[in-house]
Amino acid sequence: MQACDLLPLVPKYCSEVLDAMFFATVSGWETLAHLPADKIEAKPSLNFNLHFTGDVSGHFVVSLESSTAGNLAANFLGEDPTALSPQEVDEVVGELANMLCGSVMSQVEGEHKFVLSHPGPVGDQSSLSTDDALICVLETDAGAITVCIALEGEPCPL
Amino acid sequence: MAFNILIVDDSPAMRRVVRRVVHISGVDVGALLEAGNGIEALTVLRTEWIDLIMTDINMPGMDGEELLQEVRKDPLLSSIPVLVVSTDRSESRLQQMMALGAGGYIAKPFMPAVLSEEIDRLLGGVPHASL
Repeated sequence: MQACDLLPLVPKYCSEVLDAMFFATVSGWETLAHLPADKIEAKPSLNFNLHFTGDVSGHFVVSLESSTAGNLAANFLGEDPTALSPQEVDEVVGELANMLCGSVMSQVEGEHKFVLSHPGPVGDQSSLSTDDALICVLETDAGAITVCIALEGEPCPL
Repeated sequence: MAFNILIVDDSPAMRRVVRRVVHISGVDVGALLEAGNGIEALTVLRTEWIDLIMTDINMPGMDGEELLQEVRKDPLLSSIPVLVVSTDRSESRLQQMMALGAGGYIAKPFMPAVLSEEIDRLLGGVPHASL
C-alpha cells in the first residue's frame, strides 16, 4: 500500500470526526505533493505526531495554527476559548490527532490489530514537505488543518 | 438509585468530554471516577464500588483489552458491564472486544446521544450493587 491509496479516506473520515466532535465543518480540501512555501513559512505552531502499527504502519501528523487549535478545543470541551490553558489546548489537539488517525487507519482492515501510540508534539512542519507522504489540507470554519500520512517502507518525513 | 461510573482513557480531554456527556445524559450518577489506563482502573475497581466501566483501548501501561480480560476473570468484578469507547472503527476489533465480554462498543467520533443511550442500556436501571 502507498500513502496515496489512503486519499479517498482522509477527507471523508476526517470530516466526520471534525463535524461530530469538534463542531467544525470542512468546506474544502486539497492534497499536496509538497507543502507550498507560504504554508511552510507560516509554521503552524502546533504539530502532533503519532505512530500507528498493524497491517499498515507509519506516522500520522496533524498541523494547525494555535488560533485554530483554540477554536477546536473550545468546541470540543464546550468552553470559552479564553478560559483554556495551553496545556488543555494541547490535550485536545492530541485527542484530535488520535481520532483522525484512528478513523482513517481503522478503515484499512487486515489480520493484525491496529495500535496507536500516544500523540506527541513535534518541532515544526517543514519536515512534512516530502514526495513520499500524503499531505491533505482541510479547510474548516475553525481554520485550516493539515494532515500528513507517511507509511513505513517509504522515507519518513519526521 | 445513583450509579458509580469509571471512565478509563489516557486523554484528559476525552475524559472531560465523556464526563460532560454522562452528566447531561440524565443518568443518576453517584461517583464519576477517572483512570488514565488499565492499571489505574484496576486500583479504583478494587477500592470503589463501580456500576459501569467506560474504557478506551489504546492506552499506555495497560490497554483496554487487557483491562477487560482482567475484569472478566476476577469474580468480584466480572459482572460489571464494560462499554468500550475507541477510535478503532474496524469490525474485527469490535468483534474481538465483544467476544472478550464487552457489553457495548462505541467508535469515536460519537454523537452524545449514542453514548447516552448505551449508558442507559448497559445500566438497565439496576446498579451493579444490587445484581
